[in-house]
Amino acid sequence: MAEPAIRALGLTRTFATLRALDDLNIEVPIGSVFGFLGPNGAGKTTTIRLLLGLIEPTSGSAQVLGFDTRTQGAEIRARTGALLEHSGLYERLSAEDNLRFYGRVAHMPKAQLDQRIQELLTHLGLWDRRKEAVVKWSRGMKQKLAIARPLLHRPGLVFLDEPTAGLDPVAAASLREDLAALAARQGATIFLTTHNMAEAEKLCSLVAVIRQGKLLAVGSPGDLRSRGEGQRTEIAGRGFSDVMLAALRQQAGVSQAFVENGRLILVLEDGAGVAPLISLIVREGGEVQEVRSGQGSLEDVFLTLMEEEK
Amino acid sequence: MNADFVTVLWKEWKEIVMERSAGSNGSSLRPLILIAVFGIFFPVRMGPERFFSAAGLLAPTFFSAIVITAVIADSFAGERERHTLETLLASRLSDRSILLGKIAACMAYGWLISIACILAGAITVNIVNWHGQILLYHDSASWLLLLLGPPLLGGAVATAGVLVSLHATTVRQAQQTLSVGFAVVLIGTIFGSSMLPKDWQEWFARILFTWSQAELVLAAAVVILAIDFALLAAGMARFQRARLVLD
Repeated sequence: MAEPAIRALGLTRTFATLRALDDLNIEVPIGSVFGFLGPNGAGKTTTIRLLLGLIEPTSGSAQVLGFDTRTQGAEIRARTGALLEHSGLYERLSAEDNLRFYGRVAHMPKAQLDQRIQELLTHLGLWDRRKEAVVKWSRGMKQKLAIARPLLHRPGLVFLDEPTAGLDPVAAASLREDLAALAARQGATIFLTTHNMAEAEKLCSLVAVIRQGKLLAVGSPGDLRSRGEGQRTEIAGRGFSDVMLAALRQQAGVSQAFVENGRLILVLEDGAGVAPLISLIVREGGEVQEVRSGQGSLEDVFLTLMEEEK
Repeated sequence: MNADFVTVLWKEWKEIVMERSAGSNGSSLRPLILIAVFGIFFPVRMGPERFFSAAGLLAPTFFSAIVITAVIADSFAGERERHTLETLLASRLSDRSILLGKIAACMAYGWLISIACILAGAITVNIVNWHGQILLYHDSASWLLLLLGPPLLGGAVATAGVLVSLHATTVRQAQQTLSVGFAVVLIGTIFGSSMLPKDWQEWFARILFTWSQAELVLAAAVVILAIDFALLAAGMARFQRARLVLD
């Protein structure tokens, strides 16, 4: 079996009395897009810093691309690309110079670097403005450039810390498209931290959920969704009374029945049928306009996990 | 290591030049004003005798150090302020190449400005005092000071500046700390000599009056070189990625 790109065993980091990361155990397979999900302050950035060998763990260990983070940080940093919490762009310099600097840092031959800069900037629609100082650019353009930077030297592993944070929805969606295309073309392992569930669902083949430094769940988005609260049915209509809700809760296979934003939400055990419940609603005087069934979204699972841990 | 050093030097140089040429706060005019003052106004007032002497070179030598103070404060504190430091530290660059590249770029900038002042001064003095013959530095002390002064004093200022900038929160804080530090050193040098034991004062006086100017310049160069290396070693010791990331 191939070595994972990242393996963390009991990785722990404390700052004074704060346990920023608590006994993290994960394996990130080579070639996967791994989503590391958690709210602000969950320990995502600390994890990336530990994996890059920028800070040392208090206990536990981690290997990245087969290198120990405690003793071989330089080896890891030479083989990875990282977009950290901030874009890290030199705003006085042009886009081309920003990429040229990091290309030279990665010891790319000049011809190869020129070609790669053109390829990335063209793909991201930034080529025509490559000579401009980055300070004049919009936030979305800067963020695109920031994502191009760690991909420049085609590293085997790329860390992206909240790549779409602070962008408007249109820019974020566009950036996600670019990221998905670049990741697919390059075939690199991507370690992506985010608190945007739609982003994780769209891009990631594996996700881990973390809160207050503790790992809550790991698996594919599909696995996590199926680990959630069960089949969820949303009913749009009116006349959803308390008596009706009480009657629904007594039906076999109904785990939960409640009204949310004017819609009746039913959480059903696996195999439970919806048709008898619709009949009951109508009998109780309710009006059904639309019924939508399916598993809860990753966001639902995430929120449930956050609630459980409170 | 050499390639990485050159890469950092290239980036730092570009940043210094871009910052100085941006001109939003009048910074693009500063080098020109300095060259006008130290390369035209002062040389005309000094005249050829004083300008083409070792004493006349002291001003541009100190002046290059002041120029370096302005840019070295930005080296790490500026990167921290603009949130580029962590990305730089997350790269493959070694500690040494980052540190030396930043110091070298600032030294080169200061040295270039001082050379520009001296060249402008030499041209000005020749034009004003033209008698059909080019005037130049004519003693070994002047040439030694010209060659060794700006890089060695600039090196001391740059390494001291990096030490301060490494852990300053902002560029302004680094500049203020450096200004206070240099004021203390200057005042200490001026008034401290009178507090030395009498034997020491006599020893220094004997050196000043018996040694040639060239010997004095060489002795000062050795002392400053030792200070440069001591400060550089301190800078290397204080350069810790984890601390810089978490600061």
